[in-house]
Amino acid sequence: MTSLDATMALPDLTTPRARLLLVLGDDELVSGHRASHWTGVAPSLEEDLAFSTIAQDEINHADVWYQVLLGEDHPDVRAGVDALGLGREPDAYLHAIVCERPPNDFAYTLARHWAYDRFDVVRLAALADSSDAAIAAVARKLLHEERYHLEHADHWFGRLADGGDDARQRLRDALARVLPEALGLFEPFDGEDTAVAEGLLPVSHADLRVRWSEIVAGMLGEAGMGDLLPAAEATTPDEASGGRRGHHSTDFTDDVWPEMTELYRAHPGARW
Amino acid sequence: MTRAAMRVDPDAVRRAVESVADPELPAVTIGMLGMVHDVEVADDGTVRVELLPTFSGCPATEMIERDVVTALHAVAGVVDVRVRFRYDPPWTPDRIDATGRERLREFGIAPPGFSPGAHPSGGPTGATRPEGRPTLPLAIGPDSDPRPCPYCGSDTTVRESNFGPTPCRDLRFCESCQQPFEAFKTF
Repeated sequence: MTSLDATMALPDLTTPRARLLLVLGDDELVSGHRASHWTGVAPSLEEDLAFSTIAQDEINHADVWYQVLLGEDHPDVRAGVDALGLGREPDAYLHAIVCERPPNDFAYTLARHWAYDRFDVVRLAALADSSDAAIAAVARKLLHEERYHLEHADHWFGRLADGGDDARQRLRDALARVLPEALGLFEPFDGEDTAVAEGLLPVSHADLRVRWSEIVAGMLGEAGMGDLLPAAEATTPDEASGGRRGHHSTDFTDDVWPEMTELYRAHPGARW
Repeated sequence: MTRAAMRVDPDAVRRAVESVADPELPAVTIGMLGMVHDVEVADDGTVRVELLPTFSGCPATEMIERDVVTALHAVAGVVDVRVRFRYDPPWTPDRIDATGRERLREFGIAPPGFSPGAHPSGGPTGATRPEGRPTLPLAIGPDSDPRPCPYCGSDTTVRESNFGPTPCRDLRFCESCQQPFEAFKTF
């Protein structure tokens, strides 16, 4: 099969439902790729296993969301999923820019892991009540699985927050970089109003931000880092804004995207 | 025999599906794991199988699909096989039957929801508890989901990591018989 065939087999990607599913899938796909960058180089064997497993989980969650987008009657699901995950131009990906940032040091990775998974769980909980039966079923399934990621993220948050001065300072520095950029997760995608009105996404990203903020405020407060919570009126810094509309930094366009799509572009329609 | 005369035995079809082994846990079948949601045999010899993946990210699902197709083509009269994975209802560990739980335990994997009194403690290794094992620095802390050791039955076990060799298993250690073991995750 050529890539043209696979592209032709894709449904309309501009509907509110398709855009919602791309947002869900792309956040997971890019987060998974960044998690995989610890494989072989994590600071301990346990963390190597942890981030390798998280990478596998997140990339497969993206796969499942893309399958929902393709629909049950799609003639070639594997080709369709690959075309969605690997066959789009960079500006067609709708993940938040914070997801595409490099792992940096381990503190940054853990801070983002915590901020993102706290967000992911809040959004999945909302999606469990989606008016779309397929979306609701997958959200309920993934919610069970994300519990393991969340425990891991919370565990490390607590460990570093209760650690020595060096650990606390590294966590603080990392959160100070991550949290403002994490606001990009809560920007609306084109067509979100319709998706919310139709109950596909029962809670808008803006309202998800309120729920997320309450939870992270509590944990930051307990850790004595309440000052790091972005203010309610704060907006995403320009350099981390616009992912939901396909705007991305060179961390994606020149790094994640070329790497993850290289084989697919070199061998259109490759099967594995 | 002509195709029209070939009637497919629905019980044979069901047995063939349920006896497919999990590629990553060959001791258990997908029937024991409770992954088989529905099997439907049409008059024209087409079999539709609906399976519940244990873990959405399980890389074994494609192998399971292939193995189900192969197993069904060995059943007399089956002409075509359609396999579909569905997420509703979600698979949960309580779908694992008693045989599956015992096979998992024999395989060294603590099944979910396995009560400590369900098998004799002080089991096969007969090891006494050595003193002074250092605590691994990355133990995950207080365990919300304790499991008895699949080898000796001791309840003195710790979870060392949420992440194991496959997405559906985590890592444990038995303080009594000093064996590392795996546990099937609860969802």
